[in-house]
Amino acid sequence: MFRKILIANRGEIALRIVRAARELGVQSVVVYSQADENSLPVLLADEAVCIGPPPAASSYLNVRNILAAALVTGAEAIHPGYGFLAENAEFAAKCEEHNLVFIGPRPDNIASIGDKSAARALAQEAGVPVTPGSGPLASLQEAKAFAEEIGFPLILKASAGGGGRGMRVVQSHADLERQFVNAQEEARAAFGNPELYMEKYLEEPKHIEVQVFGDGRGEVVQLFERDCSVQRRYQKLLEEGPSLLDDGLRQRIADAAVRLASHIRYRGAGTCEFLVDKEGNFYFSEMNTRIQVEHPVTEMITGTDLVQEQIKVAAGEPLSWRQEDLSVRGHAIEVRINAEDPEHDFRPTAGTVTDVHWPGGPGVRVDSHVYAGYRIPPHYDSLLAKIITWAPTREEAIRRMERSLRETVIEGVKTTIPFHLRVLDNAFFRRGQVYTNFVARRMSS
Amino acid sequence: MQPRELKRLLDVLKDTDVSELTLETGEYKLTLRRGLGAAPAAAPVPYAAVPPAPAPAPVEQPAAQQAPEPAPSERLVDVVAPIVGTFYAAPSPDAPPFVRVGERVKPGTVLCIIEAMKLMNEIEAETSGIVREILVDNGQPVEYGQVLFRIEPD
Repeated sequence: MFRKILIANRGEIALRIVRAARELGVQSVVVYSQADENSLPVLLADEAVCIGPPPAASSYLNVRNILAAALVTGAEAIHPGYGFLAENAEFAAKCEEHNLVFIGPRPDNIASIGDKSAARALAQEAGVPVTPGSGPLASLQEAKAFAEEIGFPLILKASAGGGGRGMRVVQSHADLERQFVNAQEEARAAFGNPELYMEKYLEEPKHIEVQVFGDGRGEVVQLFERDCSVQRRYQKLLEEGPSLLDDGLRQRIADAAVRLASHIRYRGAGTCEFLVDKEGNFYFSEMNTRIQVEHPVTEMITGTDLVQEQIKVAAGEPLSWRQEDLSVRGHAIEVRINAEDPEHDFRPTAGTVTDVHWPGGPGVRVDSHVYAGYRIPPHYDSLLAKIITWAPTREEAIRRMERSLRETVIEGVKTTIPFHLRVLDNAFFRRGQVYTNFVARRMSS
Repeated sequence: MQPRELKRLLDVLKDTDVSELTLETGEYKLTLRRGLGAAPAAAPVPYAAVPPAPAPAPVEQPAAQQAPEPAPSERLVDVVAPIVGTFYAAPSPDAPPFVRVGERVKPGTVLCIIEAMKLMNEIEAETSGIVREILVDNGQPVEYGQVLFRIEPD
């Protein structure tokens, strides 16, 4: 095991890693920007090194200062947390160059699976379904032939596109001819390139992700799935596990995730994301090669510590569990409490948290770096806390979360707590009828 | 001129008797006037606009009030580490240090080396003056923004 590790992150995840290290008997060095001098991870770590001014580009992304901090403090490994440098293959390679262990996948894993088309190809090699899609469409005839093959609805996308422009949902053959020409013109106008391609369009999919863990030598276990369909503009707001899919489908999705991770001999914690349609078809969308914000959901239902496991596996220890050791117990929900005003389009609310009181009691976990008097720096994301509740059933976990959120006091800034209470009270949510358009469709006031 | 440099200049001027200073370079000309009379003296300088810290710790307050105004000779300019690394006072283990306390430096004088990832980075003085304090030992790790030297400006 390592004697000392460096944590290249901030906020709640830096604190989470400090805690995991301490329980393992490993010393922690936290690097921080001048804006985080009085933050909880800095105060609780064994050592702290200032690496730059507040902007992330000069501090939390400052590879030279982070590596220098690891070398001068004698740290043996670097935990990148999530965000910042967590999925930067170059940074992972640089760590290795300096004989520092990167607590995460090998650089080649990060690079290959992080590239959208390479990841799609790897998934297909591993026999994992991807959203059916065409290559570039030379003509309307080609588009019609493709539509014949995979069926409607379809989505037309501009090859040079992005940001939704040039994208058209097509419901029928009659629709296709008109939409194809319109989308071409839109693409030409927006990007100077009329080229289009087509993909199967999933209406109201669920976002299901499987937690995997590999030892880097081909051994991979899966720690079941989380449902992250409650999202707004691709930002997850509430996650839960296990999903409400039937057991056969859950197993097929988990098997697919294991096939992909085994195929690339994945090392460490990773998440395979899938979109699941109402007919029970599922399609791989991407793999995240890091610990995720919502990892506590999995920890609560499997009784594991994923962050400690990351450190152990990076230190060369074998996986702590075989697949048959792992099972789901009960249900867990996590809400992300952000310093945002849900009444005003979720705009960030900076300021000082003048008073704070966290919930407690059975089955409640709070991961937060916030304390009374904490000034939220304007330079980083708005996540203040994650509250996770566990209970034997989903209904009980929901009630426990409602009671926890009503116990919570955060004064001085607006938070997303009122929004979460509305979600928990929503009839569609209660019935589990939650798809990625849930917030847009069911929560708009 | 960077805002930080301007603030430093204003800080230095604050406790002097200088009432007017003109600085002219190839890029700009700056004139600062300090009237000792009523109206101009009231003009706020940037740092005056910073609101007072809320509820300072009671123990600190009397101490701060009793602190004597520093004499001009005690106003020192900090030289801080611009990068994280290992501090070296001399170019090689056998060589004499770049500077000693009491020595005169000018902009461009090498004060020390900070080694980061096997690269030696020379840290130069930006002020003319006399080295009054050296706050780190040879071979000591330093972090971003750590004060290395204090220089008494001319």
